[in-house]
Amino acid sequence: MGTTDTTESTKPRTEEVGWETKVRYFLNNDLVRSSPYWGIPFLLMGIAVYGGIGFNTAISLTDARGLGAPDYSLSNLDFEMYTQALGSSAFLSAAQNNLVLLIVFTTICLLLGLFLAILLDQGIRYNNTVQTIYLLPMALSFVITAQVWLWIYNYDFGLMNIITRAVGIGPVDWIGNPSIALGSVIFALIWQFSGYTMVVYLAGLRSLPDDQFEAAHVDGASTLKTYIRIIIPQMKEASVSAAVVLMVFALKAFTFLYALTGRYRPPNGTDILATLMVRQAFKLGKWAYSAAIATYLLILALGVIAPYLYYQYRQGSL
Amino acid sequence: MASSSSDQTFDVASLVEDYSLYRISQYVLVVLFIGFFLAPLETGLMTAFKTNRAVAETIPLMPPLAEGFTLDNMTFALDALSGAFFNSLFMAIPATIGSVLFGSMAAYGLTMVDWRGQLGVLVLFLVGIFLPYQAVLVPLARFWNNIFPLASMVEPIFVALPILQSYHANLVPLIITHIAYGIPICTILFRSYYQGLPTSYVEAAKIDGASITKIYRRIILPISKPMFGVVFIYQFTQIYNEFLFAFTLITGSDTPEAVVTLILPAVGASTSGVDFGIRMSAAFLAALPTLIIYVAFAEQFAKGLKTDA
Amino acid sequence: MTKRFGDTTAVEDLSLDIPDSEFLVLVGPSGCGKSTTLRCIAGLESPTEGSIYIGGEHMNYRVPQNRDIAMVFQDYALYPHMTVRENIRFGLEEESGYTSEERDARVEEIADLLGISSMLDRNPDELSGGQQQRVALGRAIVRDPEVFLMDEPLSNLDAELRAQMRTELQQLQNRFDVTTVYVTHNQTEAMTMSDRIAVLNKGKLQQVGEPLELYHAPENRFVAGFIGEPSMNFVEGRHRNGTFTSEFFEYPFDSGIRDDVGDTSDVVLGVRPEDIDLKRLPEGGSSGLADHEFRMTVSVVEPHGDRNVVHLRHPEDASESETIHALTPGTTVVDAGTDVVVSVDPDTVHVFDAATGEALHNRRLESEVEVHNV
Repeated sequence: MGTTDTTESTKPRTEEVGWETKVRYFLNNDLVRSSPYWGIPFLLMGIAVYGGIGFNTAISLTDARGLGAPDYSLSNLDFEMYTQALGSSAFLSAAQNNLVLLIVFTTICLLLGLFLAILLDQGIRYNNTVQTIYLLPMALSFVITAQVWLWIYNYDFGLMNIITRAVGIGPVDWIGNPSIALGSVIFALIWQFSGYTMVVYLAGLRSLPDDQFEAAHVDGASTLKTYIRIIIPQMKEASVSAAVVLMVFALKAFTFLYALTGRYRPPNGTDILATLMVRQAFKLGKWAYSAAIATYLLILALGVIAPYLYYQYRQGSL
Repeated sequence: MASSSSDQTFDVASLVEDYSLYRISQYVLVVLFIGFFLAPLETGLMTAFKTNRAVAETIPLMPPLAEGFTLDNMTFALDALSGAFFNSLFMAIPATIGSVLFGSMAAYGLTMVDWRGQLGVLVLFLVGIFLPYQAVLVPLARFWNNIFPLASMVEPIFVALPILQSYHANLVPLIITHIAYGIPICTILFRSYYQGLPTSYVEAAKIDGASITKIYRRIILPISKPMFGVVFIYQFTQIYNEFLFAFTLITGSDTPEAVVTLILPAVGASTSGVDFGIRMSAAFLAALPTLIIYVAFAEQFAKGLKTDA
Repeated sequence: MTKRFGDTTAVEDLSLDIPDSEFLVLVGPSGCGKSTTLRCIAGLESPTEGSIYIGGEHMNYRVPQNRDIAMVFQDYALYPHMTVRENIRFGLEEESGYTSEERDARVEEIADLLGISSMLDRNPDELSGGQQQRVALGRAIVRDPEVFLMDEPLSNLDAELRAQMRTELQQLQNRFDVTTVYVTHNQTEAMTMSDRIAVLNKGKLQQVGEPLELYHAPENRFVAGFIGEPSMNFVEGRHRNGTFTSEFFEYPFDSGIRDDVGDTSDVVLGVRPEDIDLKRLPEGGSSGLADHEFRMTVSVVEPHGDRNVVHLRHPEDASESETIHALTPGTTVVDAGTDVVVSVDPDTVHVFDAATGEALHNRRLESEVEVHNV
């Protein structure tokens, strides 16, 4: 019954394949053939990012400052700059400001973004136009928004003080008063970023099936309760990814602060690690010292990213 | 989706009342937040068209009235920024094209083949997205100034070219820097798109005998046109708006090759303080290219941000 | 040939010879390694061990385009940005020996053959599922390959279209006389289209043979259960002194079966639903039942029109652990809840080794009588 005619023996005969064939096959395989595609960008990026980090670390171990080239001789390499930074009050107060900025900015942005996302998810008319308006500040350069807020916070004629005068508090020196300045900066940054968190949350909300909502309604839950008990817990993933972006931004925020004054020194009370680092490097020429501060910044950023990437990896979404 | 399903109860009369009250408060909130997001920009725009007297005497939110209106600020700002505009576009357009193309290529190479180290390479790209640029600023400055002074190398070419001036050569290192640091984000944006494509596209083409290059050129590139739009708009906005690299690689806001973002914090400043009419005009002009792109392609911009997260 | 992905073995020690112009169907449940096998033949994966030959030539070290094969994908893989014409022509572009005009002519010819000439300038997303399927076929045929590979090409079509395309595919294959390897999880497709079927399970080849060979003489319990719809009934039990005993049944083996089974004690009895006869319960209750007859209760009847699938259980089997399915003609009506007499002809019985699943005895076929050409 069965067809057993064979056209060819199937005993493996690998030995008949010469090495030339194997080499040709290897050169033809996808990994090798596709390597120029990912390899060239990877090389360029690798040199820029990882070469840069390595170079930066090397400089941070020297004592380089001023115009001379860094001295990389082994005897000259130590962690002096790192300990020096930890002992400096400027560094510590910048780190403290940075921490406040990171926590307050991230928390409020997430909450406000979530609130706005839920608001826009209620079947509002002109939904997309409203979303576009809320997201608009995000499309602008920090240099530009800093100018706008500088004007709003202006002591004599700015919008903020017109409001405070109207309610009888009297003018406030929003940028000049060191104990208020950081708050003013955070407020402006929240204005710029909450549209972004809103978009992330909206994407999360829209990915939920409608029937969850309907089921909760059939069960008699109120809208508020439905959100708190059913919808918001499912926004964990959106929250985590938005929080990572915001926190990393809070660490490296430099432009907005610089652009407020147009000088290396940001308004008193708002100096953060990023501004301190740039000032030490490009104003004072303390290359090694600023490189060490940059390394601290990098470690802090990695401390945010690494758990996130690991979390993503565990979720299988890398 | 919440409210649409809430009108299913029986006490219709009170519900309609509750419902519309609820609805009205929603819209009030929406409008209040529109005010919150637009008011700062509106005060800026109004101030741009006011005379110095009007700036001091009128409420920033109010539009300029008759004798308070002036175009002088705008013309002054335009004059101050015109060269910088050219520089910004001259820098941002090639930098965007470069990073978008490289990003697409890398994503293609990383998604179409399956090999062990891929995840490692991917993580390296991801870290590149979040890298605080401060961590590479000192090396960057040393590299382009001392180790590989590309700008002075290509300067003779720029002298010979029409339109361009010798100082535009100083923008070349900045372009390359933007390309290199823009690759990670572009790669990840494209990768998320390519992963959604059926693998059979590539496999079918392979069986048909198409080379890796032919598959990219004839199949992947045309299919990913919409994604190119998204990434291009996102990346152009980022590069045009960027400040730190420009600040590090270009010596100052008074140099002829300075880009818009570099000049802006200095426009209209004098010993007597900031002239906000001029400053706001300049800010508005500086924002104009990204504003136009944003309003025209808001959807793509939002999509880029979403994929980013 | 063996293929491993890390620690998991997708295909283990598979050896297959496919004669020229044969239509071979690889069939098995999902995850059985059939697609992996196909992808190894195509060159989209490379085997971990072993060799692949096409037309006597060693293929392991050849990239897909040099293997002279064409493949039809489950999702058709039609390029959305190209018209039907460009899609079909794409595969021809890398083939040498054609002028540009010849290529165009060839595309027209193939389109004509498949009845899609009028759609050549449309985009794939404007076509129906069946039309897209034809374009995908056209793209494979246009290159006139030595081997066709098809990966579940009909699974995205609705039932009616699937039956129609099944016939068309067979006609095409006959016409071009091209060796074809066809992967499916659908045993009906396998039975109706193939010259031979290869059944795979968990990466292992279970049996290769003509459809009826697999149906009547399965080599093991898996093949017996996989081929045939509704699938074969299995009753587990023990065999002692020529009698099979399960929890509820006793079935005496005749000498032919006894010889095959030998002294294996843990066995599984297999009977196809179509080989079970139902009779009305005689007046005297269960007393007058013959050796191969049982009294059983009808629990469910599924009418299909042309036939009924009757679910039967032993009257004392409350848990329905030994439910048996029987087929009756559509005109034979049984009511659920009634008791019937079930008879199983010893000629139709399969016996499997419970431990290994291997077939010890297959049904007796006097091939001239039961399987004959019309």
